[in-house]
Amino acid sequence: MMADNKNLMLAIIISVVILLVYQVFFEMPRREAEIARQQRIEQQRQQQQATPQTGEQAPGMELGDAPPVAGSPTAPATPLRRPGDTPRLGVDVSGVVGGGAQPGAQREVALNRSERVRIVSPRVEGSIALIGARIDDLFLKDYRETIDPDSPAVELFRPGGTARPYYAEFGWLAEKGVKAPNRTTVWTADRLRLEPDKPVLLRWDNGEGLIFEQRISLDENFMFSIEQRVRNIGAESFTIAPYGLISRTGIPPDILNFYILHEGLLGVVNDTLQEIDYDDLIESGVQKFETEGGWLGITDKYWLAALIPDQKASVQASFNSGKAGALDKFQSDFLMAGVAVPGGATVAVTNRLFAGAKQVPLLDRYEQELGVPRFDLAVDFGWFYFLTKPLFYALIWLQQYLGNFGLAILALTVGIKLVFFPLANKSYRAMSKMKAMQPKMQQMKERYGEDRQRMNQELMALYKKEGVNPAAGCLPMLVQIPVFFALYKVLFVTLEMRHAPFYGWIRDLSAKDPLGILTAFGFAPWDVPAILDVVNIGIWPLIMGATMYLQQKLNPQPTDPIQAKIFLFMPFVFTFILAPFPAGLVIYWAWNNVLSMAQQWVIMKRMGTV
Amino acid sequence: MAQFLIFDREGRDFMDIAARTVRAAIRAYRFFLSYFFVGSCRYAPSCSEYAMDAVEAHGALRGGWLALRRLCRCHPWGGSGYDPAPPAKPSPTDGSGASPR
Repeated sequence: MMADNKNLMLAIIISVVILLVYQVFFEMPRREAEIARQQRIEQQRQQQQATPQTGEQAPGMELGDAPPVAGSPTAPATPLRRPGDTPRLGVDVSGVVGGGAQPGAQREVALNRSERVRIVSPRVEGSIALIGARIDDLFLKDYRETIDPDSPAVELFRPGGTARPYYAEFGWLAEKGVKAPNRTTVWTADRLRLEPDKPVLLRWDNGEGLIFEQRISLDENFMFSIEQRVRNIGAESFTIAPYGLISRTGIPPDILNFYILHEGLLGVVNDTLQEIDYDDLIESGVQKFETEGGWLGITDKYWLAALIPDQKASVQASFNSGKAGALDKFQSDFLMAGVAVPGGATVAVTNRLFAGAKQVPLLDRYEQELGVPRFDLAVDFGWFYFLTKPLFYALIWLQQYLGNFGLAILALTVGIKLVFFPLANKSYRAMSKMKAMQPKMQQMKERYGEDRQRMNQELMALYKKEGVNPAAGCLPMLVQIPVFFALYKVLFVTLEMRHAPFYGWIRDLSAKDPLGILTAFGFAPWDVPAILDVVNIGIWPLIMGATMYLQQKLNPQPTDPIQAKIFLFMPFVFTFILAPFPAGLVIYWAWNNVLSMAQQWVIMKRMGTV
Repeated sequence: MAQFLIFDREGRDFMDIAARTVRAAIRAYRFFLSYFFVGSCRYAPSCSEYAMDAVEAHGALRGGWLALRRLCRCHPWGGSGYDPAPPAKPSPTDGSGASPR
């Protein structure tokens, strides 16, 4: 009995610890991130409402020196982009008076510092600054900040001069004494709109015999190609080295810092995935890799900016951090080997930039078509990649037929159940018999109590007499653990599950069930304080708990009384534990329980034990 | 707890601590996770009981190894029935923690 009490204490302590650890390490960071995200969205909304309608070309901006590019009549003399003629997505700027101090106005002012080439494409919208030839203004048109379809489009790049600039830039490093373009260089463009299949040629003449050109094209999705070309019209030979960089200021405020998800700098160099957290990079300082082929950049949970240098060239890839005022600044870049450009010669290389959403099939397509090695690793499939990714594709495939990811999850569960159907049958048959024998087993336990050897032998004799075939073993259960984890990972990590609706009140399978018990399941909405989140259990978790409870009723009870009590308690505990998980996962588990119960019930019925 | 770490008065050594830790872990499993494996067992005693006995009789290393082998025997095409952990061999010179109580 002493041991029993000790065990019970241990059990209670462990469960409290588990709940606490869970709360501190899982729930709190998530909640903080959510709050930060909401604030950011609110801020953005204010910014966009504050977009001013007036504004002229920033003073001192001239395209003066550079000669017009061949093929275009003259250098453009008018501002390329007037604020107001390209209202930001989803925002009605009419009738709103700009407040000069607002960050939205700040973004507009920053954009106006340079003439710009507009990016007009089905999936992205933004512009390229002609000062410095930076891609520094990009929105992903297909994605909204929140589940509300009227919420702002997702912003990827942001120009310098705003609070947290994030941009990509391609250029050249030159030997000493050679005038190479830099961040203040004013480029000319042959077109003012970059569209899919309509590339733009940026051009700059250094006045000393070198003409730098960047031919930027964009596909229908998120891939920019930048042909970096240098023409030496003089006689002297020069050495130049092309580079590309992605720079981001400030750790994104909506970072989740969640251990199963990488957010930060990353790349595949020398066929190896490097994932470097922002904090780690600040600590470690610059990290350099010599690589031939590969890619590198900066990733958010769902969005990615990645440089893809010419896959045949060997480059020096580096991840670096520094300070930009109070904020930290991060940079992923590559530098190619220096090439000599003899007089009269032209040297060109094509590098690429991915700037967009991490759609897995799209990443896979780029991997195949452009030879970007292991580009799908930009999505954090994790250690169980071999399981997570196939599971993901199975869901995608099912979704195509069923039209809904929730249904796809349900169908996939049926599929997995079918595979293990015979094995599970075996176990249920054994369990059914055991449940029928329970009174006898109880008697035996009372009779042999302490003599476990005798007890076990008698038990086996009883099994034999009753004709219990051995169960299937723990294998069928063990398989469910990786499936569960893989599904969790897919729901949590992949863009495709983001904002994927189910029926009824579930509008986002990747988020927790929104209708908590404390709001009377949405009938009495109020701001539930964060501390009560643990008990604010949604409807699906409650359904899940109910299925667990019912399933347990079908099972034989453990003969150990304490264990029996803990088991009774388990559906309750798991309702709490699963409540904050993605609704898709909770639905999966509930459905899995229902299927198991159905199978078990049919068998028990047949064997006459219910 | 700290006094047990390396040696204590009763002469428990590090291996003994390891065995206790393993047994505590198995106990935790039996209370919480075994919930999900109800009705799976082909053997008596169950794998967790077996592991408890094996670790008690043979220490963390050998006991753990025995338990692992037992786990590997538990599959649809494996054996079944009464299969207790082998008892510790009595060794008269052995005064340390490896002997069964």
